[in-house]
Amino acid sequence: MAANASIIGRTTRIRGRVSGAVDLEVQGFVDGEIAVGGDVTIDTHGMVGAGVQGKRLVVRGAVKGDLLGSEAVLLEDGARVVGDVRAPRVVIAPGALVRGFVDTGDAGMPAPRASRSTAAARPAAAPAHAPARAAAPPPKAEAPAAKAAHKPAPPAHLAGGGNHAPAPSPSVPRRPPPPVVPALKKAKGQIAKKKER
Amino acid sequence: MASTVIGAGITVEGEITTDEDVVVAGTVRGKLSAKEGVTIEHGATVEADVAGGSLVVAGALTGNVTASERVDMQSGSRVIGNVKAARVTIADGAQFKGNVDMDV
Repeated sequence: MAANASIIGRTTRIRGRVSGAVDLEVQGFVDGEIAVGGDVTIDTHGMVGAGVQGKRLVVRGAVKGDLLGSEAVLLEDGARVVGDVRAPRVVIAPGALVRGFVDTGDAGMPAPRASRSTAAARPAAAPAHAPARAAAPPPKAEAPAAKAAHKPAPPAHLAGGGNHAPAPSPSVPRRPPPPVVPALKKAKGQIAKKKER
Repeated sequence: MASTVIGAGITVEGEITTDEDVVVAGTVRGKLSAKEGVTIEHGATVEADVAGGSLVVAGALTGNVTASERVDMQSGSRVIGNVKAARVTIADGAQFKGNVDMDV
């Protein structure tokens, strides 16, 4: 079995490329690309300084580079990843630290996910407004908009968020639709500005 | 039990440095330096300079070898390169081309 199981041991350091068609376990240090056809496990003590490609990537160690899993990427407790993560299934367990772009690659997903996250963002943003509103009047203009968006939201939650996406767009003048992250950033920025005022 | 295994089907291109045992059943190109034992299994291909404590070769090795203890070339192995070690054995059936440098 030893012939099939490839292990980069704890005190082992590889500078260069590791490739192949089988599974690989990294407990040591690899400063170079890993591209295998099998599963890759990067253990608690494992460190990889470049991109990792494989079928199923399980990370409990550190990776500075892109993770590309043809099947799944599982970032478990203790994982530290700086780089993009792409796989049909991506799991980020509690305790895993990630800085980078995550893409689960399902073409249909982005739109519903955006509407869901804006709907989720609204209730979170509303309580944040409340104290600010008491202090400064200008946010009123924003507050009804938030309420308007907030009102249709609850039934949508009960009915199921899928159909809900087009409904709020007439009532709310097109602020939520743009991509998830920028929308969230804008909202945070607005809140911050109002607090300043 | 070796703690670093380059399994069959794995190719490493570059430099491997380790303090522990290494078993190569796949392919290594570049450089391999270990402090303990290095085993190049039957079917493995190593095109690298190898340094280690003791080296057992059953596969194909092209490159210069330096071992602090010993180098054993087993039957069926194929070694091309210079070998420097305190003790060197070449089994019947091993192919070898290169210099041998033992502490005489």
